[in-house]
Parts: sequence; C-alpha cells; structure tokens
Amino acid sequence: MKKSKALGYLFILPAVLGMLFVHIMPMGWGILISFRDLTIRTIRDWTSAPFVGIQNFINALNPVTTIGQRYLQSLYNIFFFGVMTISIGFVIALVVALILNKPFKCKTLIRGLFLVPYITPDSVAFNFWRFIFQRRIGIFNEMLLRIGIIREPITWLVGRNTMWAVIIASIWKGWPLTALILLAGLQTIPGEIYEAAKIDGASAWQQFKYITIPYLKPIIKTVMIMNILWNFHAYNQFRVMFGADPGRYAEVPNTLIMREAFEHYRYGQGAALSVLLMLIMLTIVLIYLIFFRNKTEE
Amino acid sequence: MNKRTPLENFLFYFLILLLLFFVLAPYAWMVSSSFKTTLEIQGMTPTWIPQTLTLENYVRMNQTVPIVDYFMNSVIISLGTMIFSLLLAVLAAYGISRFNFPGRNIYILVLLATQMLPGVLFVIPYFMLFTWIRNTFGIQMTNTYHGMIFTYTSFSLPFAILMLRNYLDSVPRSIDEQALIDGCTRFMALFRIIIPLAKPGMAAIGIYSFIMAWNEILFATILTRGETRTISLGLLRYLTQNASRWGEMMAACIFATIPIIIIFTLVQKNLVKGLISGATKG
Repeated sequence: MKKSKALGYLFILPAVLGMLFVHIMPMGWGILISFRDLTIRTIRDWTSAPFVGIQNFINALNPVTTIGQRYLQSLYNIFFFGVMTISIGFVIALVVALILNKPFKCKTLIRGLFLVPYITPDSVAFNFWRFIFQRRIGIFNEMLLRIGIIREPITWLVGRNTMWAVIIASIWKGWPLTALILLAGLQTIPGEIYEAAKIDGASAWQQFKYITIPYLKPIIKTVMIMNILWNFHAYNQFRVMFGADPGRYAEVPNTLIMREAFEHYRYGQGAALSVLLMLIMLTIVLIYLIFFRNKTEE
Repeated sequence: MNKRTPLENFLFYFLILLLLFFVLAPYAWMVSSSFKTTLEIQGMTPTWIPQTLTLENYVRMNQTVPIVDYFMNSVIISLGTMIFSLLLAVLAAYGISRFNFPGRNIYILVLLATQMLPGVLFVIPYFMLFTWIRNTFGIQMTNTYHGMIFTYTSFSLPFAILMLRNYLDSVPRSIDEQALIDGCTRFMALFRIIIPLAKPGMAAIGIYSFIMAWNEILFATILTRGETRTISLGLLRYLTQNASRWGEMMAACIFATIPIIIIFTLVQKNLVKGLISGATKG
C-alpha cells in the first residue's frame, strides 16, 4: 500500500514540477507585480519598482481614467462576445446533434467533415474570415448582395460591426465540436426509454424535455464550461482579424492588456488588469457551477 | 425507427448539405482565391471560381514573407510540444487514474483551475521569468525553440492530463493488475499494455497539443523574434500598411494547414473517439 502511494507521486512528479514552475510561480509573480509600478525602466529588477498598493486596480475600474474606461468597455465587449458566441453556437449545435442522431448515409464522413473547423489552425481560420469580411472584395457582402439582404456593401472590420464579424467567425469555429460531443451524448441514451414514452403517449417535445435534456445534462455542463473558458479567453480571433488594436467596438481585455504591457511598457498596470480578469473569470465559472448544481438537485 | 417519407428524406439531406456548405464554404473561398491573379482579387466582383487559374501566389508567397522558415519553426516547436506533452501527460494521467494518494483530489482541482486562468495573466511573468533566467544562468530562453516548447508544453499539459485520465479510467484496472502478476513493472505495464490500449486518447491529446502550439499567438508575439517566429504570426505579415497580398496569404494558409491535415488523417479514426470520450466523461 505504502509503495503504491509513493509510485503515484512518482508518476505525477514531472508534471507537478513543471506546473509549479510555469503556473503557480508565474501566477504568484503576476499578483506581486500587479501592486507595483513596473515599467520598462524597472523590468530588469522588479523589486526596485515602486510599490503602489492597489492603485493599479483602482485605475482599472475607474471610468474617469483612460485605462479604466477602456478596460470596462473591453469587459463589456468580451461579455457580449461570450454570451452571443456560446448561446448561438450551442443552439445550432444542439439542433444539428438532434438531426444527426437520426440514421442517414455517410454518417462517419459527415461527422469527420464537421470536425474540420475545429482542427483548422486559428491563424488560418481567422485570416480567411478576415478576407471573407472584406468590404468590397470579400465574398460575404457579395453573397448578401446577391440574395438581396443588403443593397450596399457593409463595413465589417472597422467600427460598429466588428463585434458581429468576430462572433460569426467564432461560431463557425466552435459549434461543430459542441455538436459532435452532444451527439455522442445522445447516442448513449437507451432507445427503449423513447419507445416506452411513445407508448405512454408522450409528444416529441415532452420526450425532448423529460428524457433528452435530463440525460444530456452532465455533458451540457462540461461542454458549457469548455465554451465559457475558451470564449472568455478569446484572443486569437481579435488579434488576427483586427490587428494589435481592434478599436473600441471589439477591444477585449486580452488585447488591451497586451498593448498596455508590451507597447506602452506598463507591466504593473497590465498585470493588475489580468489579475482582475482572472477574478472575474473565476466568479463567472463559480456562479455557473453553483447555478447548475442547484438546478440538478431540484 | 420510423421510415421517412420521400419529402422528409429530401428535406433532411438538404439540411445536411446546407450545414456542410456553411462549414466548408470558407475553405472553398480560400482555395479558389489562392489560384486567382492579384488583378482578379482586387478588381471585379468576388467570384467562387477563378477566371484565370494561376500558381503565382504559391510561387511568390515565400519571396514576400519567409513563410517556409516560419513553417519549419512551427513544425519544430509543435512537434516538441506534442512529444513532451504526451510523455508527461501519460505519466501524470496514469498516476491519477491508478493510484489513490493524499493530495490527489487537490491536484486534480489545481489542474482544473489552471484552465480557468487567462493566458494573458502569464505573459508578463513569463517575459520576466525568461529575462531572469538569462540574467542569472546565462541560458537564453526568449527567441529559442526550447523556450517555446517549454511554454507550450506547460499550457497544453493540464487539459491533456485531464482528458487522458478520463480515457485511462475507461481502461479496466484488471488489465494492468494482470500484467503486474505476470511480472511486469508498473512502467512496463504502462508502456507495453496501457498505452497501446489508450491510443484514441493519446491521439486526441497529441493532436490537441500540436494544434495548440501551431495556433498560439499570444506568447509567440512576445517570446519569439525573427529566427523563431511561428507560422501563425508569419501569416499576418502578408498584410502591411502598403499592400494586402490576399492571394499569397491564402496560398500560405493552405500551406499552413498541411501538417494538420497529415496528422488528422493519420489519427482520424482514433481522434473522434478520443475527443468524445475525453469530453463526455468530464
């Protein structure tokens, strides 16, 4: 027994050591420097940077300061982005999973094709979406014009519509994986349950509500957590589609932090913004988990 | 199962085709644009089919941007990440899956927690860590392959461990117990018996860590420079203040997708299985 415990430690040791150095230590470091006015002059020896207490955090949440104003705007943006991308993507994924759960030809091939967006490298995917959304030479406006939805080409990549462009691209990238995972979940539901429900005269909607959804719950929970984490951390699509400065309407915390730290060289302020972001993320996930737990125990 | 009427059948397949169109249309646009002349891309109304087929974009893409060098950098970094992630993750996942030791649950919790942290939280400390390592030990970390592999391995590891652990949990314990009775050591049992059985799970995390490294932009922006620039940053260089070389960029995008296609084709059968079983048993 003793020996097997030691072996257990031995197996996880390399990963633990690695993570200690690359996760725990830098995280602590990030928190420490968020209380300092660390800039390009003090980066060589961070202990010499003046200690400013929670000033960086106050700046971040104070809408009067430039950085505060932009940070709050970026939080609003990422929230809007996350909610839209996740909810629309999830609805599409669920509908498609229900459809694909019916028998049809070429199932494996089509499942494979639906994985294509997931495995496409972000840089490739968002670069071609950037091209698709070009105002005059892009195919997106051309299609909309041809169908007759719009009369004039729309500017997607500058100004008000930027957020929708990045949401559409992100939904394209995200929903197929969600659909495949939901589909796998659907396939574990025993068919007899539906047969029994049918005999009892349950409508399709009742079957969906009382059999499908309860069965899928654990999977939905996992899929949603994954989606929340991925989308609220989103950076690649913003960087690729809009460059280093996405502009007011598509500014997200990650792009703001990168500019604050590595273009304006205010590392301390940037660290404070990221610590705050971490706290917000943890709160969202915790609320979600608590909410979900209460619901299932009802 | 009820048989569908011909009309329902038609609607059903129509819907699937429509979905496939939305999934694959961006690809069609990328491929067709990569064969168009600059004139056609810039000029008339956009079309799906190129009017004159040309290979000039493929010929020119490496003259504008050293994309082949960036490609090789990404191959080295991503393969390195994949190998180290698989090695460390399989050990850790096996440890969690098979042994019950004090601290095990806390460790799992820490793994989950790291998934919630924004990557940007680590960028500044990493930059400082790398500077500190260079100043103290004289080991260059920024702008090196080992620095990038180190960084990316650390970021793919938690998710890889969790996924593989789910997978290993589905391999019955009696199999390794049998192997132990037959005189295998723990490590032999792991490498000779469990790993071959866990192939789908390994495939899923292998491709996950490879794609992660191939995709990454945040850390690559800060920690790489000229000689180690990765392809995801390289692709952005076709768009400058003066010119947007879309044709070349689309050609380069196709080029950048090749390794993913190769790996995907190799592990495709296992991938879907591994991904799904990893995700559904969370």
